[in-house]
Amino acid sequence: MDTQRDVEREGAVATALDDPWVTIVWNDPVNLMSYVTHVFQSYFGLARAVAEQRMREVHEHGRSVLSSGPREKMEADVQAMHSYGLWATLQRSGE
Amino acid sequence: MKGFRSQGGDAVAELDDEERLVVARIVADVALLLGADAFGEGYDEPAPASDSDDPFEYLRGFEDSIREPSDPAILRLLPNAAPTDREIADEFRRLTDGELRATKTRRLRRIWDQLSSGSNGGGADDWVVPADEALATAAALTDVRLVLASRLGLVTDDDAERLHVEIDLAAHALDGDDETALPVDHERVWLGMLYQALTWLQESLVEFMVEASEETDV
Repeated sequence: MDTQRDVEREGAVATALDDPWVTIVWNDPVNLMSYVTHVFQSYFGLARAVAEQRMREVHEHGRSVLSSGPREKMEADVQAMHSYGLWATLQRSGE
Repeated sequence: MKGFRSQGGDAVAELDDEERLVVARIVADVALLLGADAFGEGYDEPAPASDSDDPFEYLRGFEDSIREPSDPAILRLLPNAAPTDREIADEFRRLTDGELRATKTRRLRRIWDQLSSGSNGGGADDWVVPADEALATAAALTDVRLVLASRLGLVTDDDAERLHVEIDLAAHALDGDDETALPVDHERVWLGMLYQALTWLQESLVEFMVEASEETDV
């Protein structure tokens, strides 16, 4: 499982877009796959297929980068994920 | 118990009196963990924002750093937002802790109200969740399941799988007179069965939301 490289690649993309921070959602044994997909759709406005792909990334690789942008925006995204019971973190892109 | 299904645009589940009581209690317990006042008899209106005479009380959160919860179950509800950067994690907690606790408590409270009132619009056993509250209800059910999972020590996906096997074995041992069966930890089995029931209930609620969103897409 090469999650580190995945995250770095995501980070590199984010840097290229000049977004200094990222929101990462982590896998846990409690959250239902259908629920995580639905939260990704409704909060991040992702199409169902994209939301499902991100959910699979979380489930199979342990984590997925869901958004990137300024720190304040990432704090809002992480807070929203926590309100839904998902474990999310923020960090500087590329870290 | 019957899972949620669509009925007149609402999500409606069926819980008998005992099931309602069990779910209402665990919902109130989780709210207590979050620092809310006890949900209980005689509760009418939400208490005013503060009973304190201290006019600066609401400012305190902005001054003090809020410490990470020591109870792992609460930490799961309000997790560390930056495990490798203490400063960012503390700042995030300072900014969001109060609002997150309030949001979670409000959603739990809503379930408690719905399950505690004699009837909320449907039949005697109906638990009616309006479509626009389905996601908030599913989020509150997640919080309850996170607390139960923490108490049950479910850390990995394998732990969650093993719980199913454990509950099946326990049910088998309790059913039979098999003297060689392993001793059963009744509290753990009870928590495990509650966890499974809420998982199933939440799954049906999410299914309702998915179907509802597919209908609006067409």
